[in-house]
Amino acid sequence: MNQEYCTVSQINQWIKLMFDNSAYLKKIYLKGEISNFKHHTSGHLYFTLKDDESRISAIMFRSAASSLGFVPEDGMNVLVTGRVSVYPAGGNYQIYVDKMEQDGLGNLYIEFEKLKKKLALEGLFDPAHKKVIPKYPTKIGIVTASTGAAIKDILSTIERRYPICETILFPSLVQGASASKDVAEKIKIAQNYDLDLLIVGRGGGSIEDLWAFNEEIVARAIFESKVPVISAVGHEVDVTIADFVADKRAPTPTGAAEMAVPTIDEVKKTFHTIELKLASFLEIKLKEASLELKKLEESYVLSHPMIIYENQIQKLDGLEENLHQALKQYLVQRKMMLDHIESSYVLQNPQTLYEQKEKDVKNYQVLLLKNINRIFSLKYHDFQLMVQTLKLVNPLNILEKGYSVVKKDGHIIKDSHVLKVKDELNIDFSKGSISVEVKEIIK
Amino acid sequence: MKEITFENALKDLELIVKDLESGNIPLEEAITKYTDAMNLLKLCQEKLDHATKQVNKILGEDGKLEDFKLTDGEE
Repeated sequence: MNQEYCTVSQINQWIKLMFDNSAYLKKIYLKGEISNFKHHTSGHLYFTLKDDESRISAIMFRSAASSLGFVPEDGMNVLVTGRVSVYPAGGNYQIYVDKMEQDGLGNLYIEFEKLKKKLALEGLFDPAHKKVIPKYPTKIGIVTASTGAAIKDILSTIERRYPICETILFPSLVQGASASKDVAEKIKIAQNYDLDLLIVGRGGGSIEDLWAFNEEIVARAIFESKVPVISAVGHEVDVTIADFVADKRAPTPTGAAEMAVPTIDEVKKTFHTIELKLASFLEIKLKEASLELKKLEESYVLSHPMIIYENQIQKLDGLEENLHQALKQYLVQRKMMLDHIESSYVLQNPQTLYEQKEKDVKNYQVLLLKNINRIFSLKYHDFQLMVQTLKLVNPLNILEKGYSVVKKDGHIIKDSHVLKVKDELNIDFSKGSISVEVKEIIK
Repeated sequence: MKEITFENALKDLELIVKDLESGNIPLEEAITKYTDAMNLLKLCQEKLDHATKQVNKILGEDGKLEDFKLTDGEE
């Protein structure tokens, strides 16, 4: 009778077998939302996948979970692959997850491409804007999380290579919703610290973890930074918008530190090279100079100083010759001029000068006489005219016409009223005079 | 006089080397430059030799710089 009953273990084993034999359940693709997520200390992940109506338990072993590109959390939509089997001890079936990725990544990709295109068009990636990374920085700023691999890698690399460099960490959130804003703000703050260089980045993670570095606000903060920026986000394969804008992209935080500083040994080697160069240069220069000197010493002039003197003598002779020649010529010329003057006609015949003057005097005499006669006859004519006129106005002429002149005490009387009866008057005629007495004044 | 920084000294050094290499420098000037360069080189080397490790700083929440030490442990 007992044989008709099987044990719980048996039935669960049997059911498990049935599940495991199902080709379909061996590999299924499932999508759903995570809930009841639990990260066990053993490293295994326990959670539930659900949609609006149903749920299924899920387990992801540590080995599979270690390759996860993100940190799962409740509410996340995921795509998983795995097998569905039974956990005999609990009597429940569950999905054993091999791979899990976030649903909706396609959207992120589109967003990324869109922003990249926009910023490229605006010229934010233009090589012309790239600043030169200084060779020997003295002060480096770092914008990243204050914990984690990134800061550790950067600081230890700088310490190892170039410990004389000062570093300032501007601690920032590097994942989550407010990370982009925080990173951008820290880049802006870092501008005030007199830095030679700024490293902006974080360690590896899923594409969502790195997403802050794909945000426009971070891109613009990097672009506006006056300090040269090296970006260092995630691993070699992760390329973010920040990498395009940065003046230089490093594959990893360690790589960024290596780009940022030289090693002390490199610098010392540089010194050595410079020293050698300088020494050899000076040697060459001195050799050149001494050669030049030797050449000068051996020059014909310096070895035969007489030739300087000889030349001068010759020159002097030449000058003297010229002087004589010039003087001679001058004298000849003057002599010729003198001869010319001496031989002139006037000097040869001085009497002609006298004759000429005499002729002039005669001419002047004739002219003078002619002019005086002319003036005399003009003046005589004027005189005749005057005599004629005087004749016309002579009072004697008027008396001759029969008029008489009456005078009293020598004064000519023109008005009868000045006279009184018995006044004695004289009357002058053309010929002779009489004396009369006034008998009556007729009014 | 302002203390010459390591980086500036190196820059000056490189300039002098370039100058000298370009030639056409009178000998006396070349010697002066050489002396300058050797002085700069000595200065830089001294700086390197006596360089002490810089303390790493962190910008605190109050906006002041504090010494920063990496905490060992998980990321």
